[in-house]
This record gives sequence, structure tokens and C-alpha cells, in this order.
Amino acid sequence: MAITRPRPLAVLGLLGALLALTLGAPLLGLPLEFLGGGTSGSPCGAGSDTGIALGAPGAGVLAGASEYGGPGDPGSGVLGASGVNLAQHPDSYAELGGSTFQTATMMGGLPYMTPLRITWGSRSVIAYKRDFGFGGGPVDGSPRAIDLWWQLAGRLGIPYEDGLWSGRVRLERPPATGAASQFGAVPSGAAAAAGPAAAAACAPGGLEAVALTAGERAVLLSNGLAAAPAGAPPAVKGIIAAGNQIAGRPYLYGAAHGLPLSELAPAYDCSSSVEHLLYGGGLLPVGYGAASSALESFGAAGIGRWVTIYASPAHVFMYVAGLRWDTWAAGGPGDGSSGIGWHPLVRSSAGFVARHPVGL
Amino acid sequence: MRRLALWTACAALGGCSLVPSAPKAHSIQSPVAVAQASHEYPGPVVHERVAGTAGGAVAAVRSFAGAYINWSAATVSADMRALAARSVGQARSIVALAAAQTAQDYELQRGGVANHGRVEAVAPLPGHARQYVVVTVERTTATNTTAYQGLAPAWHVAVATVSEVGPGQWAVSGWQPES
Repeated sequence: MAITRPRPLAVLGLLGALLALTLGAPLLGLPLEFLGGGTSGSPCGAGSDTGIALGAPGAGVLAGASEYGGPGDPGSGVLGASGVNLAQHPDSYAELGGSTFQTATMMGGLPYMTPLRITWGSRSVIAYKRDFGFGGGPVDGSPRAIDLWWQLAGRLGIPYEDGLWSGRVRLERPPATGAASQFGAVPSGAAAAAGPAAAAACAPGGLEAVALTAGERAVLLSNGLAAAPAGAPPAVKGIIAAGNQIAGRPYLYGAAHGLPLSELAPAYDCSSSVEHLLYGGGLLPVGYGAASSALESFGAAGIGRWVTIYASPAHVFMYVAGLRWDTWAAGGPGDGSSGIGWHPLVRSSAGFVARHPVGL
Repeated sequence: MRRLALWTACAALGGCSLVPSAPKAHSIQSPVAVAQASHEYPGPVVHERVAGTAGGAVAAVRSFAGAYINWSAATVSADMRALAARSVGQARSIVALAAAQTAQDYELQRGGVANHGRVEAVAPLPGHARQYVVVTVERTTATNTTAYQGLAPAWHVAVATVSEVGPGQWAVSGWQPES
């Protein structure tokens, strides 16, 4: 049985060390990192304990979730690690993965009060981080990243199982709110002035989570998405997160051109998909939309440490931390992908010009 | 010679205010030389006309903040233009920029984004004359996208600077959102 995390804080003291010894490695293998910087502001206390608004299903990444608290799980109590009474703030979640705030980083170590849109089935809610916890093993193949306060889970329609429910939910960072954020006037939102690393946080990948893996090479996951190297620059993680957004979408020649790169299109071609990824890394402006031949002069010549683009007048593909992003079904054992997406196998680059983003 | 040696010593130490007077030939710099140093091409000072002022500094800040945070996609550009007209200096620049950007912000317009809130507090910033800390509670909503659905109102902080633009008449001259 997968070890669930019925009590985010209380069990940590005694069980934490034991669980860390037995489950630490698998838990920390694929933490999720949310690219997007800090919180978008703390919610008004008066509004957060008066009911949880339901929303339409959101996007985001699938992550393993469990529930905690409630009458069937009295051991969890009602006090979150942030010091907040969770019963008075039922729109709460705990980030999992460790025995302290600093080590519970399955979602990148979000600050308290970070809002997330959590989708289960046809419903979504906004919840705020007020707790952390150790967690447990993967849920249906997804790393267990989040514990939902039982009333929050109930609002989503998740059946109460005395704190033992687990399943997969979609997690997404909601957009920043407030006039200054909308105007781009908040200092932390000045992505363009801060360079590619900060720009990645504001690009489409900025609202996405990306699984992390040890080492310096990205890993193709069983669901067709890619896990980013934990030590990769933020721009690389942003590229991979953006790729995960559109992996598996159908190929259509000319598709997505003409749309702002911030929008997700139903289909892509080679250049529009590569441009979406580069935008995700903060490396292209939102209005960029050139054909593959234009990428023959992108960035600097040659192979990059993290990112290499191979462009020709007819096609473009790229390598990101060792994984190939391609719309070309190159095939071969283990390649496994029809449609656009990540491919583990290399392909011939004959006839292509190698380019790379400066610094990557 | 002795003076030059003293200046050299001071310059090496840094932070020295005792510097020799510049040769007269260097006292009149070309506009390009000024621009290279200041990053601003010198030009005649343009006195800003202020469309509306407030009878007190706090009133000016409250009025500015209230207008800054209350708008809809349909009105935001015009609202910010109007706000620019009744502010001066950097504050005018920042809202004029917001007016220009929001007029062409496809996502904002398509989503029908609106922002509403109230000014909760305006307090003098200790140690900084004519500067005020402004606390607002704001909620961002949208009519044509679900992205903001369910988001609670959020607290925000900005630092405002005021200027006396006439006897007893005040306008906001600086606006720096901090969150």
C-alpha cells in the first residue's frame, strides 16, 4: 500500500525520519517545479473562509494528490504548519515531499499562500498553500505532490475516505491579479528587463509545473512528457514546460502561425512548435511567428550546452537537455511518439544548420 | 602639482568630494556627451499641465490609487490616460505607459479582464518626505476567460510620491507598485 500522508505536520516528528529512510529517494525523484516566481498576493482573509468558489476545469499538469483531515482523520488536527487553522480556511493545501518547509518541495518549494488552481473531473477550485507534509509514493504513475484539505477535496467532489483518498489532479498556477500585475508594473514581473531566466517565469511555461529529474539530461516520462534536469537554467525548464504543454498535439502544416505564442493552438507544425518552446523559455517575443528557415539565424551558431536548434528551409527540430523535440516521426525503437513531442533518439542533422540560444 | 596629487589620492580612496574644478572647455558638454552620461538627451524642460489636483497630499494619493485599481478592459486605456493627465512626473509616465499597453493588450481585451478594489490605507513612509505607503485590496475578474475564476481578493502595496503643483494643490508624482 502506498504510504499516504494523512497528517501533514503531526506525524512528521516521529515518522518523518523513518519514512525518509524508506521512501525518500522515490519521492524526491520527480519533484514538480512551478515556474513563476512568488505569490500573486495574499488572499483577503475575510473571503477565504466563507466558501470555496467552483470554477471550470483548468489546465496544468497531472500530479498525485491525497486528502487529509476531517472526522475520519482526527490525527491531522486542524492546525497547518503555517500556523493557520485549516478548518477556518478550508481552501488549503499542503506541498509534499519533505519533513520541513525547506524540503517539502515537490512543487518547487512554493511560498505559503501561493494560489493553485486544482482541477478534478469537471471542477476546479483555487486553494492556497498553508501546510506541508512528507507525502508518499506515486499515484497512478504521477509523483505525489499535494495534499488537499478534506473540505477542499469535498468541494471538488472527491469522495471522503477518512483521509485515505488518493488520485490525480491537475495543478496550475493562476494568473497574477491586481492592477499592477496586469500593467506589468510590479518589479518582480519585469521579465524583459531581467533576462531570459525571469522571462521564463512569465512565459506560458510560467503557469505550468515541470517534473524534475537528477542529472543534466531531461528524461522522457511514460506519459510522453519530459522531466527537466533539476540543475538546468530556468529558461531550459521553461522550454521543457512549454513543450509539455503541447506534446501529443497533432501536426498540421502552417498551424499556430499567426497566433500569439502565449496561446495554445490545437495543432502545430515544426516551426510553430519550436517557437512555442522558445517562447516558453523566454527566448522569443510573444508576437514572433517565422518559418523554419528564419530559425537558421536564431541565436548563435553551433551546438549549445543545453539547447540546440537544427533548422533548414524545410524543417526545424531541437534538442533540449538531451531530448529531441520534433514533429517528425523519426521512428525507431523507443521513439514511441506519433504527433509532435519529445523523442529520446537522435536523428540525422545532415542538411541542417545548428544554432543555440546565447548562454544556453 | 600638490593639488593634483591630493585629488589623485582622494580619487583612489573613493567618495572624496574634493575635486579640482573642471577646465572651462569641458563645462559645456555637447547634448550627445550629456546623453552618454545621463542616458537622456537634454532638451527644454516641458512643464506638465495637471488636469486635476487635490487639496491635500493624502487625498491626492487616495484619488490616484482608487483610479489605478478600478477599471475594466473596455475602459482601462481611457482611464489610465485620464489618470496620467492628473498626475505628474514618473507617475504620469507609468500610467501613460499602462494606457498605451492596455490599448493593445490582446489577452486583456479578449478575456474581458477587469480589476476592482478599494484603498484600505494610506500612511506616510517614515523617513521619506512626501512619500506614502498605499495598501489596497483588489480582485481581478474576467468575463471571457475562466483563468481568474475563484481567485480571492488580494492585498497589494505601493509607494506613492506627491508633489505640490500649486499653492495647497497636490498631485501624485511617483507610483511604485511593490506587489
